[in-house]
Amino acid sequence: MEGIGIDTISLPLVDYEVTNTIFNIWIIMAFLVVMAVVVRVKLTRVPGKLQLVAEMVVEGSQWLVDNTMGEDKRGFAPYTMTLALFLVFANLSGLVALRQPTADLNVTFALALITFFLVHYHGLKAKGGLGYLKSYFEPLAFMFPINVVSEIALPVSLSFRLFGNMLGSVIIMALLYSFAPVIIPLIGHAYFDIFAGLIQTFIFVMLTLTFITLKME
Amino acid sequence: MELIWEFLQTFELELLMEWFDQFEPRDLVLAASGLAAGIAMIAGIGPGIGMGMAAGMAANAAGRAPREMRGVTLVMLMGQAMAATAGIFSLVMGLLILYNNPLTEKGDTVSWAILVASTLGAGVAIIGATGQGIGQGYAAGKGAEGVGARPKWHPVIVRTMLLGQAVAQTTGIYALIIGLLLLFANPFIS
Repeated sequence: MEGIGIDTISLPLVDYEVTNTIFNIWIIMAFLVVMAVVVRVKLTRVPGKLQLVAEMVVEGSQWLVDNTMGEDKRGFAPYTMTLALFLVFANLSGLVALRQPTADLNVTFALALITFFLVHYHGLKAKGGLGYLKSYFEPLAFMFPINVVSEIALPVSLSFRLFGNMLGSVIIMALLYSFAPVIIPLIGHAYFDIFAGLIQTFIFVMLTLTFITLKME
Repeated sequence: MELIWEFLQTFELELLMEWFDQFEPRDLVLAASGLAAGIAMIAGIGPGIGMGMAAGMAANAAGRAPREMRGVTLVMLMGQAMAATAGIFSLVMGLLILYNNPLTEKGDTVSWAILVASTLGAGVAIIGATGQGIGQGYAAGKGAEGVGARPKWHPVIVRTMLLGQAVAQTTGIYALIIGLLLLFANPFIS
């Protein structure tokens, strides 16, 4: 069946092959960078339409961080916004016939690893070395192995959740297109790309924020 | 051990294996695919129970606070859509086994027993999504009840419900991963 597997693309000019998911990530990155530059250059005191949308995104991420982590941790808002914007465009890229980069385990695991390192870096910073080590022996000392396993399970379950959901929608959409190529796939796009994509973005971002907050307390 | 072996021999397993051997390996894997696709859909029980439970709790909540019907219905639908992912996982697995089972082409190089068992295993694995559907549906119902009782905290309730449902989804995802591994990246075939 077409469109399920991950293909390789050989780049022009340089003698190098990349997967199509990496290539799609580059497209999304280029789009986001260009949009950021355009909004920055046109910044005015009375906002235009584009600036209004950008301000809404910034305020939305600040609101989310304030509400889930507390107002003193507003420093996480830029990363939250970056992650959310990337995931939204990555999950919705199926609408413009790109293969969703988030349906590739390498991509989701990389994102989950960033979360993993953020959690432990900020845990160490907030608690200090001894307090951080002590948290592994709570509530009881013999819980140490269980705590370690649950820390390792965090990036695994986080990455597989996004990957499994997006791969499910990639497979279902490929099947729908092979059964009924007109009109019916539109319904599938509405549920599997837009609804599932946005919900999974929200969940990935929220879980990242929640895990960081839990480790810092 | 001896006793068990003797007991097993009374079934004349060798005869059974010989009987299987008369078929083409491809036919055996196709037969197993049909069985596995049916087995995979057993996981549809979970989301069915879960979504029904959510609907019942939401109806109760709407009856108690008729003015909040719109919010209650919205939360119920959102939670049910999350609970439906278990059914979608089993549907994905069943359709893949039916239409895109790569194991049917491997009959010349690998023993048919491994292929048949892997196909059946992929179908059986996804039954694990049953629990996910029930759990997420329960969460959806409780969320709807919460919104009916305290509509002011609608955003907080929805956020917590979605987060909890996402974590409840983990085991279903693991079941899907094992099923996909058995079909597409089987360690017994290489």
